[in-house]
Amino acid sequence: MDRGIPPAPARTTPRSTWVFAALVSAAGLAAFVVGSAAIGPVAIPPATAIGIVVHELTGGAVGAGACGSGVDPAQCAIWVEIVWDARMPAILLALVAGAALGLSGATLQGTFRNPLADPYLLGLSAGAALGASSVYTFDLFAAERGLALPAFAFAGGLVPGLLVYAAARDGRRSPETLLLTGVALNALFSSVLSSLLLYNPAGNVPLSFWLLGGLGDASWVNDALVFAVVLAIGAGTSLAGSELNLLQLGPDVAQSLGVDARRTTRRLILLATLATAAAVAFTGIVGFVGLIAPHLVRRIVGVDYRRILPLTALGGGAFLLGAWDVAQVVVPSVVIPVGIPTAFAGASFFLYLLYRRGGVGPRSERAP
Amino acid sequence: MIAPLLDVRGATVRYGARPAVTGVSFTVEPGSLLALAGPNGSGKSSLLRAVIGLEPLAEGSIVLTGDPVDGLDIRTRARRAAWMPQDEPAGDNVRAAAYVRYGRHPATGRDAGSREADDGAVTAAMTLAGTAELADRPVWSLSGGERQRVRLARVVAQATPVLLLDEPTAHLDVGHQLDVLDRLRRLARDEHRAVVVALHDLNLAARFADRIAVLARGRLVALGPPADVLSPELLYEVWGIVATLRTDPRSRLPYLIPELPRPLDEGPVRSTPPRPRVHLVAGGGSAADLLPALLAAGYELSAGTLPLFDSDTELADAWHVPTVEEVPFAPLSDAARDQTRRFVAACDAVVVAPFPVGPTNLANLTDLVGAALDRPLLLVAHTPGTPWDFAEGAGERVRAELLAQGGRELPGAAAVVEELRRLLPQPRTTSRGAGAPGGRLIDRPPREGGGGSIG
Repeated sequence: MDRGIPPAPARTTPRSTWVFAALVSAAGLAAFVVGSAAIGPVAIPPATAIGIVVHELTGGAVGAGACGSGVDPAQCAIWVEIVWDARMPAILLALVAGAALGLSGATLQGTFRNPLADPYLLGLSAGAALGASSVYTFDLFAAERGLALPAFAFAGGLVPGLLVYAAARDGRRSPETLLLTGVALNALFSSVLSSLLLYNPAGNVPLSFWLLGGLGDASWVNDALVFAVVLAIGAGTSLAGSELNLLQLGPDVAQSLGVDARRTTRRLILLATLATAAAVAFTGIVGFVGLIAPHLVRRIVGVDYRRILPLTALGGGAFLLGAWDVAQVVVPSVVIPVGIPTAFAGASFFLYLLYRRGGVGPRSERAP
Repeated sequence: MIAPLLDVRGATVRYGARPAVTGVSFTVEPGSLLALAGPNGSGKSSLLRAVIGLEPLAEGSIVLTGDPVDGLDIRTRARRAAWMPQDEPAGDNVRAAAYVRYGRHPATGRDAGSREADDGAVTAAMTLAGTAELADRPVWSLSGGERQRVRLARVVAQATPVLLLDEPTAHLDVGHQLDVLDRLRRLARDEHRAVVVALHDLNLAARFADRIAVLARGRLVALGPPADVLSPELLYEVWGIVATLRTDPRSRLPYLIPELPRPLDEGPVRSTPPRPRVHLVAGGGSAADLLPALLAAGYELSAGTLPLFDSDTELADAWHVPTVEEVPFAPLSDAARDQTRRFVAACDAVVVAPFPVGPTNLANLTDLVGAALDRPLLLVAHTPGTPWDFAEGAGERVRAELLAQGGRELPGAAAVVEELRRLLPQPRTTSRGAGAPGGRLIDRPPREGGGGSIG
């Protein structure tokens, strides 16, 4: 082969830098997770909480007792139950649900070429919550609730998902149309959801859980289920990274470069809906994670969706976990719904994005 | 004969019921550059989009390197034809090299074949497009010309046998226009690709294209080498402009000099025969304004007696205006004077351009004395202070005589056209809507109350 061509331009970031960054973030995340176990309305000495996690993780091999010496065994049993059976599942749910919402947000932003797209703002979360909560309110599939919840959430999320897709498909509509459609759908589904929850014939689901989100229902089984969905979707969307990159050039150019724009768009919206449903089924509506995580990641790694997607999963998890930490301590002795801190942070960030760019245009991110 | 890389056969594209492209056929062979020309909305972009399968064909077929386009899957199509639209979201925050690498997607895609091969293709394409030094710049920081060349590099990196470019010179200054087209032509010739370029600039098309395909209202009205295709009639009937076509003595290629256009809302001339005839007496470039103005106003012209090789003669010839011609600086022959008298006798009005009068062409004026008494005689005033009478005062005398017998002196071409409109029956009909020009080259549906066509 002819090798007369000049050498390719040097890559700006060497591979080893990425490996290093990945190791550092993994270590940071582990510390974050274990440290979060010490946070909550019940005061547990941080060292003890961390000791319990390590003790349980290692199957009791480390240290004499879970709580170390000098702790009353009865007290220790309560602490172990709080840390290992209540907090850790919630922490891990925060990670996987945050990852799912982050992936969903990044996928929607890429698919719609709109930096303000988010499963909550587009009404997907409300639809999914309506679907999932009806499993409780109508007391359906009590035996297979763990599977029925995400399935109903997916079915519920599909309705706004398809409506938003229809609104976005007509290329002549402005980016604002998409967002306003989402706002309308969100309001619509939330109102139905609220009515249903207030009607609540089974009488067993708190309104605030679905509307404001919560991680209190977490269990190791739920975590595993969401984790599996997140892995599957993460794989599905990550494969689509290069296609998402090309979709940024518009559906026509993407198609001229070998991407079936319409099919890819449909597939990605389905995946985003599925990711949203997996999270919402077990956490209720937690807004703005899908908006913030991709933006923060983009700041760090740029515009390549092959990098944005996996890192957004990480970022979304970390963000939701941080929100959970805040929710544990911000009001003394009360755990507030986790959707409140995400909404507070997310809505502020949303406003910042709106006014910083002076408009909602999809490609107005360039320098003035 | 070489098999064409692109074979368009009776392609028809419709948007709903509205036809955008109707029955267009042409082929593009390897190594050749075809320019698609035509007014706005004539179907150039739709045709290019149809070739890469973005618009379905209502009728006909498009064969891309041997296979019908609609039978190819999207990725295979992307390996055979690359497309550069008029404008696209530019991928603002991407570095130019990463942007150009997008063009490698069809060839390698997610199963990214060999990274070095991709790198090589990207670098080669960027070098060819003259953008090698821009590789690390983010796209948003590029100037219009740089951005256009980076887009070109993306299309080149796709390494397809067929390239389709929609207005690649839009937003470019004249230097970059020439540069981009020169690169495209070399790409076609050196790498035996088939290049189709939609172009608005006909001079660029004539300069760089092997053949020009002219579309009007979605139909192919002319196809061939620039010198064969471009004619004043075509320019008039397709674009509605009056223009002089010259041949560049060095390249032997045609180039055009457009005259001031009629206001667009007036649309093209559609006169019903017989049209009023106007005879123009001119010479020495004095008809440069008058002749186009009279043509544009829809009059049938004759001219004479004109000196051979004169620019007025050239202009009249370019428009196939019947002329009487005479060797310059020789006394007008009897034959020429007779022919001119016949033209004058047959016309509805005589217009005298402000031409320089000398002993040899004085007869142009004297022959009018007494000959044009029964029809309007309009004389365009000479520019004050410019000497024009080189016949020792005879010119002034005859001109005064003509004015005395009813001739009217007017300041310029516009005034002449205005006066003729007042004096003669209207040569044009006004019943046309806004839209593409009509004419006999264009297969136009009959229209109620519409006029006839030219010629």
